[in-house]
Amino acid sequence: MKSTQLGEFEELVLLVIGTLNDEAYSLSIKNTLKEHTGRNPSIGALHSALNRLTKKGFLDSYEGGATKSRGGRRKRFYTLTAFGRKALDQSFELRSGLYHALPKLGLSHE
Amino acid sequence: MSNLPERLPPKWMDWLLDLFCCEEEIEILRGDLYELFEERLETSGPLVAKTLFLAGVVDFFRPFAIKKLPNTKTTIMLGNYFKVTKRNLSKQKLYSSLNITGLAVGLVCFMLTFLYIQDELSYDQFHIKSDRIYRVLERFESEGVGEHSASLPFPTGPSLAADYQSHIEGMVRLFNFQSPTLTLANKEQDKAFNESRIFFADSSFLDVFDFKLLSGNRQHALDKPNSILITPTMAAKYFGNGDPIGKQLEFQAGQLLEVTGVLEDAPTNVHFQYDFIISFSSLKQWYNGSLPASWYWNPCWTYIVLKENASTNDLIKQFPAFVAKYFPEFIQSDVTLELQPLHDIHLHSKLDYEIQANSDIKSIYIFGAIAIFILFIATVNFINLSTARATKRAKEVGVRKSLGSNKSQLVTQFIFESILMTFLAVSLAFVAVAFLLPAFNQLVNKEIDLSQLLLPSHIIYGLVLSISIGLLSGFYPAFVLSSFQAVAVLKGDRLKVKGLNFRKILVIAQFAISMFLIAGTIVAIDQFRLLQDQEVGFDQEHVLMIPVIRSPMGDYYDTFRNKLLQSTRVKSITGVEEIIGAKHQVENYRFEGMERSKPFPRFHVLHDFTKTMNIELAAGRDYSRDYNTEDSLAYVINESMVKAMGWNSAEEAIGKRFYHRDELKGEIVGVVKDYNFVSKHHPIGPLVLDLTTNPRAFNLFMKYLAVRVDGENIPESIEVVENTWNSTIPDRPFDFFFLEDRLNQSYAAEQKLSKITVILSVLAISVACLGLFGLATFNIERRTKEIGLRKVLGIKTSQIMSLLSKEFSVLLLVAFLIGIPLSYLFLEQWLNGFAYRVELSPWPFMLAGALTFLIAMSTVFYHAFKASYINPVDTLKSE
Repeated sequence: MKSTQLGEFEELVLLVIGTLNDEAYSLSIKNTLKEHTGRNPSIGALHSALNRLTKKGFLDSYEGGATKSRGGRRKRFYTLTAFGRKALDQSFELRSGLYHALPKLGLSHE
Repeated sequence: MSNLPERLPPKWMDWLLDLFCCEEEIEILRGDLYELFEERLETSGPLVAKTLFLAGVVDFFRPFAIKKLPNTKTTIMLGNYFKVTKRNLSKQKLYSSLNITGLAVGLVCFMLTFLYIQDELSYDQFHIKSDRIYRVLERFESEGVGEHSASLPFPTGPSLAADYQSHIEGMVRLFNFQSPTLTLANKEQDKAFNESRIFFADSSFLDVFDFKLLSGNRQHALDKPNSILITPTMAAKYFGNGDPIGKQLEFQAGQLLEVTGVLEDAPTNVHFQYDFIISFSSLKQWYNGSLPASWYWNPCWTYIVLKENASTNDLIKQFPAFVAKYFPEFIQSDVTLELQPLHDIHLHSKLDYEIQANSDIKSIYIFGAIAIFILFIATVNFINLSTARATKRAKEVGVRKSLGSNKSQLVTQFIFESILMTFLAVSLAFVAVAFLLPAFNQLVNKEIDLSQLLLPSHIIYGLVLSISIGLLSGFYPAFVLSSFQAVAVLKGDRLKVKGLNFRKILVIAQFAISMFLIAGTIVAIDQFRLLQDQEVGFDQEHVLMIPVIRSPMGDYYDTFRNKLLQSTRVKSITGVEEIIGAKHQVENYRFEGMERSKPFPRFHVLHDFTKTMNIELAAGRDYSRDYNTEDSLAYVINESMVKAMGWNSAEEAIGKRFYHRDELKGEIVGVVKDYNFVSKHHPIGPLVLDLTTNPRAFNLFMKYLAVRVDGENIPESIEVVENTWNSTIPDRPFDFFFLEDRLNQSYAAEQKLSKITVILSVLAISVACLGLFGLATFNIERRTKEIGLRKVLGIKTSQIMSLLSKEFSVLLLVAFLIGIPLSYLFLEQWLNGFAYRVELSPWPFMLAGALTFLIAMSTVFYHAFKASYINPVDTLKSE
């Protein structure tokens, strides 16, 4: 299925949302990404990716209550859908399968 | 968290997001931006936070977040126009890029000039009371000879404030000994410097002017004697990083001053640039315990604040009575007091004893006019190219019309198109200006900040500018295009493009302006050369000027002189009151035959003045050490003085008597040939050279030593002087400048003007040529078939050239005939403002005409040449 193909950035975003559990909203996703990968995507780019992923059905979103620090504005929280989870699994299988097929090198375990 | 305005991002950025962002996304996105903003405010400060906020807003300009357009007829049509414009731009890349770059270049000039003018107009505007602050001036003249002084006697300010309390709310005086530099030292760290931007100011300084006091007590910072305010830059220079408050500075090696406040660095748009402000009461120490009470000596720049409803006219009417009450009787009839609005100082004031050289409103007019000219040329290009291209769009118009488009819709389409293109050009220009600004600042000696450009008001101006230029330039082509007859175009009839005459007029105007700018530039450069290079009557080369006022040099002058003259590197030395050729003072003199004394320009000198400056004598002798006693009652005057007195010749003037303390016992001993004792902006007037050998004169009348050194090896000569100085008065820092350099600064305004006009006129003519290039390309493209036929019939290349360039030559000729007389009249007018001016000769005009002709024709010839190589088969085979 073509639509389950994930870009590298998209895959990272999905993974981060999965790990963040109930706390996944744009800025926490951005910070976690920065922590783990050192990349710092612009929020425009991030929102654009989130939008795309939601449209493809990998993500679900709901809006939280009013907050204090954002001038009273709500946050949008994201959760992984079952389809999204499946896509991550598929991608992991694909990679690990190929990885195991790599010939072992003598010096690799020092 | 508090909701103070500075804790929120600027409103207009918020508004920008509203403009394009769709309903579903806006709350979430804005929330993110606000959260980030607050975070950044804490970590990186407001400027970074705001900039990144704006970047974030722009970053959201992505398909998912942009408002979905409602599907109405208008939006569909606009979408279609947009698409057609895009296709047209990419289909005709050459035209499009010529069109857009031409306009962008014009806009860049316009924007830079705009920023420049805005900066010039902003001088002294930021004080809250600025529209009520006036500088009091003294006109001290008899029959046009004397001075128009920006500064006043010491007691004037307080007396005015006391006598006219109903009008005057506040008063402040500034004073700096009229000295080019004064010495400050931090004894603890053994740091001593000559400072040129020190002012003594009344304690009301911070009430009148709204400079920010960064630390210290605003009300009382200047109350006590021996207090000094210091800028952060200077605090770092003298004290390093520590808190300067309470620290001490030694002034002129004899007065300890305590730092009582840190004053913001002088904003660039203030007519007096300060580094230090010292309390006025500190001055008393230098004048035997009280301030000078003389109403004759006028060294204090005096500012008054009028009460809100007070009328200046009322106050001015009282001035004659005021003069009669206080000023000494012998000058009363020659003195008039005047009021000058603070706002006028930077651009309108060219008085004697200005604190620093001001700008001139005239150059603002000139720059502004040139910028508008260039924008005009660029707009004309745009119009010309669009109309010329009209035939290419004729089919489209025909199809649209037959599908039911009416005229107004077509007009909308083409105007929309041209607004879109101008918008592109404006954006391009904004980017270019951002890149060019540092270089521009260097060129014009300003510190215009990039943030100025991104002010919301400027962005809105930019939008308004795009729309209005778009409308202006789109209107005519739209009108021409929409008038095509559908049937005629679709049947493939030959089109008679309308507006040929209008286009010709525009081309003529463009080239007339280009010629005018070239001629103007040549004349401006010529005039600048004349001011700078023409003989001044003395030799300004290789003269070191050493500021010595209020230094112990008075007591050591003879020692210093004798030591110096032992070196072969030093030719001659003298002392002078002001910079020779730049400034002078005024004093009352009464020569034999005069009823009463009158003010005349005066210049105090030491022995060897004419020898050091190579000034020729017309008659008599210079002051000499051989006649010491006699010379204490002698004057040397210049030729203009001889004329002013009505004496027939220089020889006749020798031996004429003058009054000294009401006794006719002085004698004129020499007459020097006229030299320019002030800049060539002024004609040469009468002058008295007055010998003053008293060592105490160094406190007031001897501001510089002038040393003529050997021109062969300047560095070594300077070293000789410096070493001698250090061995004579070791505790004073040595400081000097070259007379020639300083005198050239007098013409900085003209230099700037000619530099900028050169650049602007080069740009103007290149923009005009861009337009011509496009027009010529188009014209020739239209005639390829004709050329093909002619070639078959045996035309020569040269004949093709003349055929194609004929039309443009006529246009250029007409432009020449219109442009040259107009530029002659204008330049004549401009030059009349100078005391020394070049005479207009025909060659700058001929050159301007020839140059424009050459550049324009080479553009046309290039195309004609290309056209003449076309193989007729290619153009004739398709019908």
